[in-house]
Amino acid sequence: MSVVVIGLSHRSSPVALRERFAFAGETIPHALASLRASLATEAVILSTCNRVEVYAVTTLAPEAAVAELKKFLLAHHAYDGALGDELYAFAEPHSLHHLFKVASGLDSMVIGETEIFGQLKAAYELAFTHKHTGARLNKAFQRAFNVAKHIRTETNIQRGSVSVMSAAVELAEKIFSSLAEHEVLVIGAGETSEKTARALLSRGARGVVVTNRSPERATALAAELGGRAVPFAQWPDEFVQIDIAISSTAARDHILDRATLEPLMKRRKHRPLLLIDIAVPRDIDPAVSELDNVYLYNVDDLQSIATEYLNLRKEEVARCEKIIGEKVAALLEANKYAAAR
Amino acid sequence: MFYGLSTIYSVFLWRKGFRRDDWVNYLLIAGGVALHTLAMTKRGLTLQSCPVNNLYEATTFLLWALGLASLVYSLLPRFKFLAAFTAPVLFTIGVFALMPSLDPPHGPKPEFSGALRSLHAATSLQAYGAFGLAAVAAGMLLMQRHDLKFNKLRAMLSLLPSMQRLELITFRLVAAGFGLLTIGLIAGQQLPRPEGKPYFSDTKVIWSALLWLVYLESLMAYKFFGRSSRRFALVTIIAFAVLLLTFWITNLNSPMHQP
Repeated sequence: MSVVVIGLSHRSSPVALRERFAFAGETIPHALASLRASLATEAVILSTCNRVEVYAVTTLAPEAAVAELKKFLLAHHAYDGALGDELYAFAEPHSLHHLFKVASGLDSMVIGETEIFGQLKAAYELAFTHKHTGARLNKAFQRAFNVAKHIRTETNIQRGSVSVMSAAVELAEKIFSSLAEHEVLVIGAGETSEKTARALLSRGARGVVVTNRSPERATALAAELGGRAVPFAQWPDEFVQIDIAISSTAARDHILDRATLEPLMKRRKHRPLLLIDIAVPRDIDPAVSELDNVYLYNVDDLQSIATEYLNLRKEEVARCEKIIGEKVAALLEANKYAAAR
Repeated sequence: MFYGLSTIYSVFLWRKGFRRDDWVNYLLIAGGVALHTLAMTKRGLTLQSCPVNNLYEATTFLLWALGLASLVYSLLPRFKFLAAFTAPVLFTIGVFALMPSLDPPHGPKPEFSGALRSLHAATSLQAYGAFGLAAVAAGMLLMQRHDLKFNKLRAMLSLLPSMQRLELITFRLVAAGFGLLTIGLIAGQQLPRPEGKPYFSDTKVIWSALLWLVYLESLMAYKFFGRSSRRFALVTIIAFAVLLLTFWITNLNSPMHQP
């Protein structure tokens, strides 16, 4: 008996096909039961927006098991189209290697992301609760979770911000020792600035002030974020107390220039000010960064930080693969030893 | 040798942008400080007093205070790289201290003896150590500030503390050094001196008083008159550089310190 996996992921298939094969949460226990009744002794189904995978332990030979699992998937989703490379399948040891990679975020769209770890854990717990797992899958999944934790602590695979929003938050934390003492001003209630403000608030920022040309939109966003709205004409006055400003208006010209900011910095007693300009065309005149204690970042700067972190994570993949190779070999050895006893 | 190895390793860390958080540099400095402590203890036991009786001993005491303080501060979260920034300072001062003329043989009785003299020498030298470490933290602050100001990726990728934290540590170290220097100067005033020679007529005392004034002005301007962190850091670095460059000259020209 060995662990076999069959599935589709963002690497092998477009979203239109993945959604065709997705399992709704409430249907998974039933699907697992029918799998076990027909061909598998143990099974786990993982279904997320980026992948649909069936992990199974069968008494069949790997080729036959893969063929049967494929038949099951097609029949379950009533799919009669052709499938080629979109569907992948692995038998041991590659199936275990794949499971460990998925758990560690190495097979994710954003390398090293941790959301998949939680999703995989939930999928396993669902199968475990309904008694669809046994010794082989229990051991394989427990090891996969341990390996993912080990990789997280021993390598840089999860280090750094790989999105514009999280790069902005990290930037703020490089300047301010704690965000709890600092308020955020959102100029222009766009989607990215809203997400960035939310990210800053989730990291403990003291509060948020929203301003927008449309006062209704400002009030609505302020209410959503638990902050306060100020009229658009009055936002410069807020610079005395805020320390982080996110700007994303649709203005054609700069809304903040050096001449405006210089007296405001005096009123702020030259406390550090982080300006995040995510508007295109830019809202903030680059000349303001010549002022002491003003740190200006535009969308390209943030994107290059995110890209650099992503490259750093890619560099770590080889290290992670090596760890996974060793752990898979150790698991196979343990299985062999257990079978011999 | 340990300080030298640490300096070389620091260059590698700097070239790599302070990305990997490892203990190598910390352990190298810890090894150096451990041997340094042993050597100073042996000399102190031989002399039966705090080993700060000549320029060599004063210099190595300063070095020891700086090394030890950097080890303690390096234990703070994200401050492990303080050791990397301190290593070149330790190595430079250490090489200078090896000049044979700085360590003339002692007479039958050390020139310095007594608790008050030990207190004066120890607190003054620890103050210089604190100023040295403040200059190191100020250097880190200026580097972080420059990298963040000019959107350098190193600011994000390096494992250095936030600017505000570095600013706070620099301020606290300067304040601690200032307090220790004040105690050192007051203790020095209580010591016996040549007949009719006022305390503030000695070169080293005048130099120390000037130093005291410079640090007082810096602390006051920063705390109460809105001096920017960049200027505060620059003054801290320049003041310590001047301290290092003039420490030996003033010592050699001081009748009270070179009887």
